[in-house]
Amino acid sequence: MTRRPLRHTLSLSALAACGLAVTLVGCSSPATSAPADDVDWDALSHEELVEMATEEGEVNAYAFTSRIAAIEESFEAEYPDIDVVASDISSSELITRLATEHTAGSATADVAYVSDAPVVVTELLADGVLLPYVPSRVSDALPSEFQEPLPANRLSTKVLMYNEEAHPDGPPVTKLWELTEDDWSGRVVLVDPNVRGDYLDLATEFSLRADEMTSAYADHFGEEIALDDGVPDAGLQFMKDLYANDAVLVDDTDTVNAAVGVTGQEDPPVGFTSYSDRRDNEEEGWALQVASGVAPSPGIVFPAYLGVTANAENPAAARLLIDFMMGDDSATGGPGFEPFYVAGDYPTRTDIDTPADALSLDELAAWRIDPEASAEHRSDVADFLLTIQ
Amino acid sequence: MIVRSRVSAAVRQPALWLAIAVLAVLIILVALPLAGLIAATTGDDGDGSWGDVLASPMSQALFWQPLGGSLLVGLGTGVIATLIGAFLAWIVVMSDVPGRRVIGVLAAIPFALPSFAIALAWESVFRNDRIGGTTGLLFSLGIPVPDWLAWGPVPVILTLVAHYYSLSFLVIAAALANVGGDLVAAAELTGASRARVAARIVIPSVAPAVLSGFLLAFAEGVSNFAVPALLGLPVRFQTLSTRLYGAISTGDSARGYVLSILLIVVAGVILFIGNRTTGGRSFSTITGKATRARVTRTGGWRAPLAMIAWAIVIITAIIPGIVLVVSTLLRRTNSFDSGFTLHYWIGESDPSISHGMRGVLRDPTVLQATGGTLGLGVVVALGSVLIGLLAAYAIRQRPQARTANGAISLLAYVPFLIPGVALGAAFIAQFGAPIGPFGSLYGTFGIIVLAGIAASIPFAFQTAKSALGQVAPELDEAAVLTGASGPRRLARITVPLVSRGLANGGILVFVTMVRDLSVVVLLVTPATPLLSMMTFRYASEGFAQQASAITLIIAVISVAATLLARLLEKSRDGRPERNLS
Repeated sequence: MTRRPLRHTLSLSALAACGLAVTLVGCSSPATSAPADDVDWDALSHEELVEMATEEGEVNAYAFTSRIAAIEESFEAEYPDIDVVASDISSSELITRLATEHTAGSATADVAYVSDAPVVVTELLADGVLLPYVPSRVSDALPSEFQEPLPANRLSTKVLMYNEEAHPDGPPVTKLWELTEDDWSGRVVLVDPNVRGDYLDLATEFSLRADEMTSAYADHFGEEIALDDGVPDAGLQFMKDLYANDAVLVDDTDTVNAAVGVTGQEDPPVGFTSYSDRRDNEEEGWALQVASGVAPSPGIVFPAYLGVTANAENPAAARLLIDFMMGDDSATGGPGFEPFYVAGDYPTRTDIDTPADALSLDELAAWRIDPEASAEHRSDVADFLLTIQ
Repeated sequence: MIVRSRVSAAVRQPALWLAIAVLAVLIILVALPLAGLIAATTGDDGDGSWGDVLASPMSQALFWQPLGGSLLVGLGTGVIATLIGAFLAWIVVMSDVPGRRVIGVLAAIPFALPSFAIALAWESVFRNDRIGGTTGLLFSLGIPVPDWLAWGPVPVILTLVAHYYSLSFLVIAAALANVGGDLVAAAELTGASRARVAARIVIPSVAPAVLSGFLLAFAEGVSNFAVPALLGLPVRFQTLSTRLYGAISTGDSARGYVLSILLIVVAGVILFIGNRTTGGRSFSTITGKATRARVTRTGGWRAPLAMIAWAIVIITAIIPGIVLVVSTLLRRTNSFDSGFTLHYWIGESDPSISHGMRGVLRDPTVLQATGGTLGLGVVVALGSVLIGLLAAYAIRQRPQARTANGAISLLAYVPFLIPGVALGAAFIAQFGAPIGPFGSLYGTFGIIVLAGIAASIPFAFQTAKSALGQVAPELDEAAVLTGASGPRRLARITVPLVSRGLANGGILVFVTMVRDLSVVVLLVTPATPLLSMMTFRYASEGFAQQASAITLIIAVISVAATLLARLLEKSRDGRPERNLS
């Protein structure tokens, strides 16, 4: 239902009619379907973009986070003549919705802010539902890996966390392979990777980093790893051993946080969760801390993508919103990045400082996922995990 | 000649036209989305999903074990919920147990509470140290709680029963209220024992309702995702619904759709078996004569029965309700240590709490969303009750048309087994583009209403069917002799007689609609905010108190709707008799 390739047809006459004639109200009218554009967006100055966006007067955004509400407020404060209409729904629903709306040719969002990068690659980019837009003013400060296939404004994490109240001297584990030993039997908590995409990405990354998992095994056990029958690589052998060691699968990241983090526990488990959830420690009564220095890596960092929809009715305002959410030139990214400037998440722009109270990205040493490589591999990993339940 | 006269006779048959119209509506609202679901699982789009699910090394974990889990949960929930519902219905309608009216009101509440509130209540008592974190009451008192009691099928089934027995209760209570006291009295005069009266009169006459209640609880049990995910996953207990949602949310929707089609097949088999076992055994108890249900003297059993009934409603309605209320008042999620606050209801923005979010009652969108939610609930309830009534009526008018009736029954039963996301996507595909001269429905309130109706037809149909099953056909036949037209007979005779059943159907639809999320999530626009969307948003961002507060608003609306329907019913009492005498 979601994988039909759709070739977006460009209408030359429509292009000619609209073009740069920003005074033509008709071009931005929602009544016309598939307003194709021949605008060279990269060549526009910021003022020209603002002028066109103001002419459109509205921008419709789908986002996977409720923090879009804060963006709505700050964007409208900055550009009072442009109305942001924001919906927040979960990434998987957002992806289904964009793909179906695209296929049906119905009115849809102008901008999508979406996680689940590998699914975006297979379900949306392959069909041309989303287009990239990298504001030229930030392209120098944005590493190329965060410009392609869609620009990312920040990175989130799924990393091994422990309870720092119970372990004040640092992480109780230093190597991932320890988690497959008796000491940690029944005491490693994670969301079932067959239920949630970001945890499937984590398992996929173990598999893609099989070489590192192989040498980490040798480092820890002092012998070469011997793969079980039917296990393709060391990363998946780790998942199999982890499952066999009675790892506890749950349905939700907050369940992991509470299980690992709640204070007053004598012998709390460890678990894979978001580093940025540490910011809720005080409010929730948790003592979450990242198990930094775990070899070969504590987990993954992954991007949140921004994209313009192919059929955007407000293509200029869409790009202006993306421009806004990429942050301004201050050290914290300004109001457009403020909701995302939290300890444990990472701005992709090299000229924005890492938020205080968290390890830098280098210190964290988590694996950066490559969404396109993950996309190719993750369904095999999902299938494998189903055979080791 | 013969053929032509047969055709013309058929054309003149209004019942046939009704059946055709009902089928047409069901095809548009249910069969087409279902066909889209099947199309998405075959050919290139399907990516070999059928083979993966049914015949591959994954099949065991992907289908067969979850199938066992689903059958266990569905049948367990269906049977126990029906037993409890029937017991309470008997207590409320036919016994002399003290406080039975209040029990009747309370027994309708659990369905209006979110299933996670009951699951949380379970956890707060029985949670052991399996996953770490805060343990439940028993464990912290030093009482060891085995894994089978804390996690897996047992708590999943019991939690779902606590949630869904309301369905059987409402349907069966409506049917019992129609079992005439004179019938029972007559039987007793012939010297029949109480057990014999129960077995030969009362039970057969409510059999259609018992079956409907069971079918609804079964379908809810197998389609529920939240409870098995919360209480089952930690011991790797999977059902088809957890696998289905997992497949969709990890980006393999074709595989998820295959699982949901298989779930529909399983439900179809259960529906078929259910109809076969109770088929032809229903009694007409609504005869148009004014009768009151006969109160059974319970004598020495009065106190123990009252205690059991009260215990059930206290555990399933009052305690989870309190848990829900308290969870909105805790300064810190699930922790009593840091005290209570009204901040999440009425607080001004405070940057140190919930990232500066203000209390829900200060949020103007809450009011707007409440209005939208009420509107949606009422419109969808009216629409689906109308369709459900007409569908049940069409089946009854032409009992000989087995194929058509089977198709209607099945199409009116399966919608809530179609995953909400898939139903929503199908509606976008179907109504997203402009249809002929009509504009696109997409992005309008209309498409949400249509999808809502499609999703809630099962409640309306099952309740209407069980209510109609009790109406004596002689009443309708008598009216035919007076020359009353079909619509007039339906409106003046049948509808008033089954009004209680229909009202119950309406309540069930309304309650599901005001709290349902999965169907509307793909279809809503920011212009039409809904309370269920707000709960989801708060919950997914970890704002548990705000999520609970909105949930509580939803629950209050649902309970108020239930009470209102009861009041309306009371004021109608006696009217059918007056009309017919």
